[in-house]
Amino acid sequence: MVSLEPISTVDVPYWHPRTETMPRDELAAWQWEKLRRSLALARNSPFWRERLPADISSLEDYFARVPLLYRKDIMAAQGVAPPYGTMPSTNPGLGSHHHQTSGTSGHPPVRSFDTTRDWTWCVDAYATALYGMGVREHHRGMVAFGYGLFAGFWLMHYALERIGATPVPSGGMDSRARIRLLVDLRVEVLGLTPSYALRLIETAREMGVDLKRDANVKIIMAGGEPRTDLTTDIIAEAFGARVHNAAGTTELGTVNMFECPEKRNACHIIESIVIEEVLDPVTKQPVGYGEQGVRVSTGIGREGLQLFRHWTEDLVVKRPWHECGCGRTWDYLDRGILGRTDDLRKIRGVSVTPTMVEEVVRKFDDVAEYQTILRRVRGLDTIVVRVEPASSQVDNEVLGARIGTAIKNEIGIRPDVEFAEPGTLPRFELKAARFHDEREG
Amino acid sequence: MTNARVELTELQVRQLRDCYRTLRGLAESVGAPGVRAAVRIAVADLHAALEGQALEFDLYTHRWDEESSAHDHTLAS
Repeated sequence: MVSLEPISTVDVPYWHPRTETMPRDELAAWQWEKLRRSLALARNSPFWRERLPADISSLEDYFARVPLLYRKDIMAAQGVAPPYGTMPSTNPGLGSHHHQTSGTSGHPPVRSFDTTRDWTWCVDAYATALYGMGVREHHRGMVAFGYGLFAGFWLMHYALERIGATPVPSGGMDSRARIRLLVDLRVEVLGLTPSYALRLIETAREMGVDLKRDANVKIIMAGGEPRTDLTTDIIAEAFGARVHNAAGTTELGTVNMFECPEKRNACHIIESIVIEEVLDPVTKQPVGYGEQGVRVSTGIGREGLQLFRHWTEDLVVKRPWHECGCGRTWDYLDRGILGRTDDLRKIRGVSVTPTMVEEVVRKFDDVAEYQTILRRVRGLDTIVVRVEPASSQVDNEVLGARIGTAIKNEIGIRPDVEFAEPGTLPRFELKAARFHDEREG
Repeated sequence: MTNARVELTELQVRQLRDCYRTLRGLAESVGAPGVRAAVRIAVADLHAALEGQALEFDLYTHRWDEESSAHDHTLAS
């Protein structure tokens, strides 16, 4: 008979007290130990075997000798042997979960698989974030998304379950049904994109529901998109809830940071599972605390698809851990992801680039010119395609429907299609400016 | 916010490590599919918890791939 010690009833603010409050020197040693073993496993991967130098002796040596990994490298590796390419360090046949990006960046999607161990690791990282935000086992949580290929909110669903909270699935519901469920079940935790939060607010008003009065949401995890403080304030005020930021990547497999309740906009890096460098976008050299640079991510812990020095394109500013008073020894990203170095735009969690729209619209001979405008319509991020028909003989209604369907099929979002009079849209000789993001500023 | 810390005791650490070692062994030796699946899930769950406490870091699933030992994993899916 194993002797067991009595259960502690202290409500600890950390999911993993040990690694969340480790002294920095111990944390660095733990990271190196995990990285060392991860590098050893990576020898199973043709991609990494070719790319990684032998006998890396320290974290400093790793930063100095391992090349940066760009999206094009991942896509090239994936293209060699679909669906997962030459990167896996463990047989994908041992996977238990598949996810992928939206596939809307003009290229094939980044595909991802997880072994049971990896999926548990990914969920545990998400649980670290949710628990840190204050989610506890007595809560009910709704994840308001379509339960499709996108990994992020699946992880939130399972992280709620792992914490012991009660996930309320709402995948097939429209906004009205979700609001009724939020009210009826007194749901305390809500996960969604900021854009969709605004849409829910608008819908609730149409229904005569005062979310602050009639619902019971206390903690909102609003991720998947950058947001302004104003948007956060609007959401917080409408729900009467604390709105938290979090972010991750399909390439890493899970969240890499979450906003601390102790200090607004302090998004702690989950440094027990990821090593985050911040590099100058041009020189690719490290920048100091408080300086803006590009986030370069190394995953330490995933065994199927590993990630070493991934150039994320995310612009961030890192601040030292002690400037937040929560007791964690994890540095934080001030205001999370500030933007991207490339021209990718996120619409409802889907990545959109100018060329993606162009590739669709240019297939229509009846289109003489067009513009793409990203606009917030009733709180929801929307693609507006303004089309100038080639002649006045074109049936605009038919053309608009065809373009709308084509973009929906290619990009995953149905746009609003507007029409301009022939000859009214600007023409360009150099450097066309057909893509306008009116959500900025 | 309190800065409370809840450290595992030496006894708890020893018991958890014993459990993990036992489960890891069972995960490779049990033949009954239903039991093997349950044990492998238990291994993953316990491993995530131990890793969070900086007690264990083990990349093990590739060891279960008997057929892929002689070649790369790239085309195995």
